[in-house]
Amino acid sequence: MRSITLKGLSKSINGGQIIPGLNLNIPAGKFFALLGPSGCGKTTLLRLIAGLEKADEGQIFLGDEDITELPIHERPVNVVFQNYALFPHLDVFDNVAYSLKLNKTPKKEIKEKVCKILQAFHLESHIYKFTSQLSGGQQQRVALARAIINEPDVLLLDEPLAALDFKLREKMLIELIELQDKLKTTFVYVTHDQFEALTVADQMAIMNTKGQIEQIGTPKEIYEFPHSSFVAKFVGTTNILSGKLRQIDTDPEIEVADLGKFKLSIPLKKQWMKEGCDILISLRPEKIFISKKEVPNFSNKLMGTVQSIVYHGRSTQYNVVLRNGLKLQVFEQNEEHFPQQVIDYDNEVYLYWQKENVVLLEK
Amino acid sequence: MKLKFLPKQRSSEFPFTFGAPAIIWQILFFYFPLLIIVVTSFINISELGEIEGVTLKKIALFLSPTYMKVILSSMLLGVSNAVICLLVAYPLAYFMAIRGKKHKNLLLFLLIIPFWTNFLLHVYAWFFVLERDGFLNTLLLKIGFIHEPIHFLNSIFSIMVMMVYYYLPFMVLPIYSSLERFDSRLIEASLDLGASWFQTFRRIMLPLTLGGIRAGFFLVYIPSFGEFAIPELMGGDKYMFVGSVVSHYILGDQTGSLGAAFTVVACICLLLSAVGLFFLLNKIILPKRKK
Repeated sequence: MRSITLKGLSKSINGGQIIPGLNLNIPAGKFFALLGPSGCGKTTLLRLIAGLEKADEGQIFLGDEDITELPIHERPVNVVFQNYALFPHLDVFDNVAYSLKLNKTPKKEIKEKVCKILQAFHLESHIYKFTSQLSGGQQQRVALARAIINEPDVLLLDEPLAALDFKLREKMLIELIELQDKLKTTFVYVTHDQFEALTVADQMAIMNTKGQIEQIGTPKEIYEFPHSSFVAKFVGTTNILSGKLRQIDTDPEIEVADLGKFKLSIPLKKQWMKEGCDILISLRPEKIFISKKEVPNFSNKLMGTVQSIVYHGRSTQYNVVLRNGLKLQVFEQNEEHFPQQVIDYDNEVYLYWQKENVVLLEK
Repeated sequence: MKLKFLPKQRSSEFPFTFGAPAIIWQILFFYFPLLIIVVTSFINISELGEIEGVTLKKIALFLSPTYMKVILSSMLLGVSNAVICLLVAYPLAYFMAIRGKKHKNLLLFLLIIPFWTNFLLHVYAWFFVLERDGFLNTLLLKIGFIHEPIHFLNSIFSIMVMMVYYYLPFMVLPIYSSLERFDSRLIEASLDLGASWFQTFRRIMLPLTLGGIRAGFFLVYIPSFGEFAIPELMGGDKYMFVGSVVSHYILGDQTGSLGAAFTVVACICLLLSAVGLFFLLNKIILPKRKK
């Protein structure tokens, strides 16, 4: 269990810069998720840490040790590959025992260790099967078992659940969290799926399309307090309104063209926030209250027409068109079997939100 | 019902229709002559050409140590040719399949080019290279590596040079195709798990390309075993191999049936040695499984 520190790391492939001088600290013993859109360079970053790629510039530290020049097979870092990369000519036992056999561990010890780990992963009845005879979830577990059996300091997971169906993925996510909790190994989980990242991470980093880190924080911080419109839009669903900042010192408001003014709260004033400057606000769909009747005690109110309704099961999504043609998404929890008011297509509705639930972003 | 019926009809009859010419060809020009050879080697023919009954004498004649030595040296020639070809071909195939992906068509083309010129021309070209005042001797003298020209021709060395030169593509192509299908991410996985390059090669690449190695090995071993022209041309008349013995009897006066008998003996030895080599290759390359 050691931390990873990247200092000024950069990498170009075929002349195109993938990683542009990146600084990042991945804390020891934490479940760290690296979230970014496809092709943003997160897999390259992971390959750099693993030693599968050589950095053009910069350093990689494992704890205090500089491992930038350490060859791949000497790094105490293991990878769970996206396609698992299990050895097709070896059975489950030999796949898992692979790293142990390399360093001449006594046979008895290998057998004990492998059997123990296979039991923990519910694979004990498949020991002598070839990996092609296993289901996707079982292959995934073999890949995990193979990667952790030698107790690496850091486990890198490259979209490990991408090939699994939704139910299985949810189950594996929980297993991963429990595994990390037990091992206390530093896990670095790379994914483009925000649901997975939010689920597993203690800490997460958002990478933009240029390979830069946009924000680091706990899943809650990232989701509730995004620092940029990229993060706000990429993590979860949100409504972005654009307008001008007014009355910054007394009673802050955003003035949106054709819609009017809406109250804001500015808990921490930043440098760029100036009277009259262009700003964006991010308003999460679940933070909006939708109603056919007027309700008191909300700081902001809007009116619109329901254009479409998507039923998700636990919630319902309303797409509401505003006066200026802008569309807002609103989520409503389906709390009751027989709700008091039924909102239907083309209904005129009121949208309410509290000013504290809005995030102010630089344009 | 119709839908179920149609594909069945196609799958059972069409392949036979298309395969028939090849099958008939094979029967007429391979299995039938082979049968004649086997029969000839077991029957006694009088000087007048009449069949006088069955005999094992001819077969027994070739089980003597003299002929066994010839067969053994042919095996040795075949195995050493196959092993040298393997050692040379594997890195070449690796380079073509994994490193040289962009130019693989060009590389394959370059590999095939020698087949465009006549075999005898290759032999003469090698004469010029290997003779007393040939290219190789001149070169070695010039750089001061040797002080007297070396006698390269008519030796095992010149035979092996020509054999490897000629058979190399037969080894490269199957290995190339198995390496091309090889998932190079497995190399990364192995290195990541702490294996050195050598361990990765030994434990992952070799076993997973065994199909190509095996195909190449036998594509080289089997024809080398019976190779006639190369030892004859490059080795002078110093060395006796299966090919030269067979040609001696088949072309000789009244000794055709002896040639047939020797062919049968040699073929059985070849078959047995091939089976043995098959298991030996598996044993060397595949990981041990004892459970």
